[in-house]
Amino acid sequence: MKYLPLFLLSLLLLGCQDDDDPVTTLPEADLTLDFRTDYAGRPLAIQRGTYAYPSGGQLKVLLFQFYVSDLEILPADGSAAIRLSDIDLIRWMSAGDDATTSRTYRVPEGDYRGIRFGLGVKPELNARDPSDFAADYVLNEAEFWGPTTRYVFAKIEANADLEGDGTFDSGLSYHLGSDALYTTVSFNQDFTVTAGADPGLTVVADVLRALSGGGETFDIRDPQKRNVHGGNQEVGRNIWERLSRQFRLEIGE
Amino acid sequence: MLRTCYFIGLLGLFAAIGCGEEVGGDPPVVDSGAIQGPSAPTPYALEVPDYFPAPVVDPDNPLTEEGIELGRHIFYDKEILSSDGSMSCASCHRQELAFTDGLNRSVGIRQLEGGRSAMSLVNLAFNPNGFNWDGSSTRLWEQAIHPVEDMLELDNDWEEVLRKLRTHDDYPARFRAAFGVDNRSEITRELTVKAIAQFERTIISADSKYDRVVYRNTDFFTEAEQLGADSLFFVENVPPGTLHPGCGHCHNAPGFGDNRFRNNGIEDVASLDDFVDKGLGGVTGSRFDNGKFRTPTLRNIALTAPYMHDGRFKTLEEVLDHYAGGGHDLENEDPNITGFPLTERQKAALLAFLGTLTDESLLTDERFSAPR
Repeated sequence: MKYLPLFLLSLLLLGCQDDDDPVTTLPEADLTLDFRTDYAGRPLAIQRGTYAYPSGGQLKVLLFQFYVSDLEILPADGSAAIRLSDIDLIRWMSAGDDATTSRTYRVPEGDYRGIRFGLGVKPELNARDPSDFAADYVLNEAEFWGPTTRYVFAKIEANADLEGDGTFDSGLSYHLGSDALYTTVSFNQDFTVTAGADPGLTVVADVLRALSGGGETFDIRDPQKRNVHGGNQEVGRNIWERLSRQFRLEIGE
Repeated sequence: MLRTCYFIGLLGLFAAIGCGEEVGGDPPVVDSGAIQGPSAPTPYALEVPDYFPAPVVDPDNPLTEEGIELGRHIFYDKEILSSDGSMSCASCHRQELAFTDGLNRSVGIRQLEGGRSAMSLVNLAFNPNGFNWDGSSTRLWEQAIHPVEDMLELDNDWEEVLRKLRTHDDYPARFRAAFGVDNRSEITRELTVKAIAQFERTIISADSKYDRVVYRNTDFFTEAEQLGADSLFFVENVPPGTLHPGCGHCHNAPGFGDNRFRNNGIEDVASLDDFVDKGLGGVTGSRFDNGKFRTPTLRNIALTAPYMHDGRFKTLEEVLDHYAGGGHDLENEDPNITGFPLTERQKAALLAFLGTLTDESLLTDERFSAPR
């Protein structure tokens, strides 16, 4: 009995020692994810490039942007997806912009079987107002239509020369978005993340393939089809569907 | 023990020598630049209505009560900022005109026109995209440096400004209170413009009729105002083929100006290289940015004539006529400048709506007025 206090003290000390034991965690490494925008398979040059359009005419693209929600990488062992970001806005809007824009995340080293994201603003955030956030947050009023129509998920803006006279005088402005259009984009492609050996992931979006593909071309000669804004998203639905289907993932290229 | 005694004795000797020197030696050196007074600034939280986003934080220039007050004094002080004591920031940013000056181009102390119109200073705390018409200053406090030196504005020399501030009866203590400086020599250009920026960040305009109707539910639009809002300003359901996406496309609420840079089609030039004022292009060096200027806020727009970066439009009617007429088909023109039909009834309604963006309380708010 006289050793009981000593015994209890020993337990306490051992307990303390346990608390200090290192917790087993996976080592982490930087993962750089590139987003590249193309036009007809070539890196897009905002304003600087002149691009032929399938239904006639030429384009100068002034703006291409889209929201990415719940960007995740998927562990090969089937464990829970690793969230890289809740919301991000990928944008090309200046002639000085490189066709590739990069994000870097800290993630556990290991093997992965793919990547996925929501194209657009996920419903729980699309229900929030810009005033819920800071003025310099990606969900700001410049990307917001209004109380009914909510955030603009993607924008494609360009000026077209339809007459071949060298004057880019036909404005094209496609602003797309609604909860109904929110789409999950998934890539089932294996890659490995280890320190010092970035797998070289590039998500590629081709503006032309959003406007024209799968046997359909958005006819920009039709004045009725040069602007999509606000609540009437049915007009732009097929642009959206092509946009959401055309993403591809390049690995190690 | 003996060592301890020696040590204490030695300390006593040093103390005695030290005292002796003070009493019997040369007169003490007095630091004439030392500043007395409080030196612990009080953090200040901006009062932002819940229908506004949170302001952009500048970690390099946190707001303090003393910094804001110092900035307000300098903002209104003609003696300090201009070389001839005739102008201050407030000369071109007049509170009764929503901090503009009513001129197409601002006029400096030499009575010469500057290059551009004075921008309103309201709601700068919510601007994430650089300052000035061309975005040439990435941070607000940097913006205040150039006007002091510009011969078409205050035409002063920062060394002279600092000399006045350092030898002033009042400012050194205010700088100490705002920034904790100990000596007049520590009053710098950077602290001066940071104080001005702190004051400017407090100028929040959020009490217009629009705010009362839409956010507070304490007022009503007239029929014309409502028509202006619904027919052309906020067009949420744009029918196919409608050319005009709504003014709110670039001037969305609650800021009514997205601070982006656009060629809004006002300049009729043959090519991108022919803009006299290159705007953003003058900053980036890219010809594709020539002719692009900031989309400013429309809050208090009825008070801030004339319009555009060079004040070319004297009235809002002229502005609406420009947009209805479309632009000039240049390749970097914003694609949403398309031209659209505008009836006289619609124009009157739109003007009525724009009038609801005037914040009368801003014009007399003593927090933003010249200190007494």
